[in-house]
Amino acid sequence: MQITLSACQENNSFILYFVAGFSNLLYNKHPKPVAVILQTEQLNKRYGGIQAVDRLSLQVEQGSIYGLLGPNGSGKTTTLGMVLDVIRPTSGSFAWFGQPVSRTTKHRIGALLETPNFYPYLTARRNLEIAAEIKGVDHKRIAQVLHLVGLSQRSHTTFKGFSLGMKQRLALAATLLNDPEVLVLDEPTNGLDPEGIAEVRELILQIAAQGKTIILASHLLDEVEKVCTHVAVLQKGMLRAEGRVDTILSAKDQFIISARNLPQVLEVLKQLPFVAAYQPEGEAVNLTLNEGYGSADVNKAMFEAGVVLQQLTLRRKSLEAQFLEIIKSQA
Amino acid sequence: MNLIRVELHKMLPYRTVWAILAIFVVLMLLILYAGSEITINGQELGEQMYDLPKFWQILAYIASFFNMLFGVLLIVLVTDEYTFRTLRQQVIDGMSRAELVLAKFYVVLGLGAFATVFLLVLGLYFGLLHGQNHSANAVFGQIDHLSYYYVQTVGYMTLAMLFGFLIRKSGLAIVAFIAYTIVVEPIIHFRLPDSVDKFMPVKALKSLTPMPGQEVLDQLTTPSEALPLPWAVLISLVYIGLFWFLSYFTLKLRDL
Repeated sequence: MQITLSACQENNSFILYFVAGFSNLLYNKHPKPVAVILQTEQLNKRYGGIQAVDRLSLQVEQGSIYGLLGPNGSGKTTTLGMVLDVIRPTSGSFAWFGQPVSRTTKHRIGALLETPNFYPYLTARRNLEIAAEIKGVDHKRIAQVLHLVGLSQRSHTTFKGFSLGMKQRLALAATLLNDPEVLVLDEPTNGLDPEGIAEVRELILQIAAQGKTIILASHLLDEVEKVCTHVAVLQKGMLRAEGRVDTILSAKDQFIISARNLPQVLEVLKQLPFVAAYQPEGEAVNLTLNEGYGSADVNKAMFEAGVVLQQLTLRRKSLEAQFLEIIKSQA
Repeated sequence: MNLIRVELHKMLPYRTVWAILAIFVVLMLLILYAGSEITINGQELGEQMYDLPKFWQILAYIASFFNMLFGVLLIVLVTDEYTFRTLRQQVIDGMSRAELVLAKFYVVLGLGAFATVFLLVLGLYFGLLHGQNHSANAVFGQIDHLSYYYVQTVGYMTLAMLFGFLIRKSGLAIVAFIAYTIVVEPIIHFRLPDSVDKFMPVKALKSLTPMPGQEVLDQLTTPSEALPLPWAVLISLVYIGLFWFLSYFTLKLRDL
């Protein structure tokens, strides 16, 4: 019984491979070139004895929402600062749109680094006028972006009179002034209330839907998971993992199963090839599956082994746990 | 000019700028009014003081006291950009480091022009109203002192700009600027022969607005050697270029 099942499993995966190969073939026949927006090559930054960024090589492709994820002090802001031309790399190089950084590349980018940077004594509108001058943008855009971030009513309030959330939104408005192809956002929801966070995330997704590329630094796993398509995990300036969010962050979910006959369940689990790990916990068993398998596979295998499950629940592993796992497994 | 427009956007609504300019204007007027009241040997100085063309040199000399004030204003404007992190944002948004320094240098030139034009107005007003001689020759005879004053105030402000870019914190930069110009360099002057120290920046700048009646004083005491005016202008221009370049170099080497 068990053997047939495995064979079936293998068959399945064979078909999957076949399909994957076929789609690859299709893909190659009609190559859709994916432009590289930002590429970093062995970027290094040392502050005295501290290695803030350590040989970082990244590649951000057009149309992706690229998350830079890491705890505070992991080098996210330093990395963004280097590619935005305000922090000098100790060594290494980077290119925007395949070119070295210049006024032309900068005008294709909208970026917000660390904090909203404005003149406190100037009104929102006047602050944006300065930004528009520097970016070489028509002043008509100012009213549009203010409206977009919901600050139209407050355009004549001085920046110092703004709440943190409003400051953050004004900064977002400034990044949108030149209708950039790429948005670089450093902790864009920092200091916002839940409503503001939801609004900003919605705005980011809207902008991304227009085919724009977004690079987003965050220490919030939840945020990266909800917003990003790709993620790079940083720790102590080193790249710990990089890839699509669904493969990096949500790979190994946990299942909880229980049945009347627990020993038999354990017996079956022992022999299932796609079970990565399992652990009895009271009346139930926690198990982790190999990549590419889901609850249906467990259910099917159990049923075929003559076990009727009473409970089969998917428990998403806490993101923090996943994060620690990524960091541990790469260390 | 885009850079000038950007700087005007920042400065026009800024109260600190207007406050410092107002202090300059009010104090200059006060000194000129009070100056005419000074009595020497029972004779009021007033009418003599406003006599053109001598008055131009007096004006330039009095205005030179306020170079510190303009220096402080420049330091405030430069260090603000660090405090608000707007220097960083402007580089992100597309400005080069050279343009950042150039923009502030335009501010220096603009403020210098404002002060010089103000002196021109003062000179014509007081000179024509209270002075004796109104011939064109007399009025415009020594008006070149205004241009020396312009070079001088631009020189002081460029030095202040360098302190601002270098030190980044307004309080510290102001203290360092004042300490250097009125304590440190004069002390160095004591240790050096005049033939050498006359080339030092503050002394070269100072020699652009010689004290009226210095010639008389020199006859009584041992004259202190200063650069002749054309030389002082040349040396000052070299220093202005140097301060400009050092400001740029500071930005180039450092993270923002």
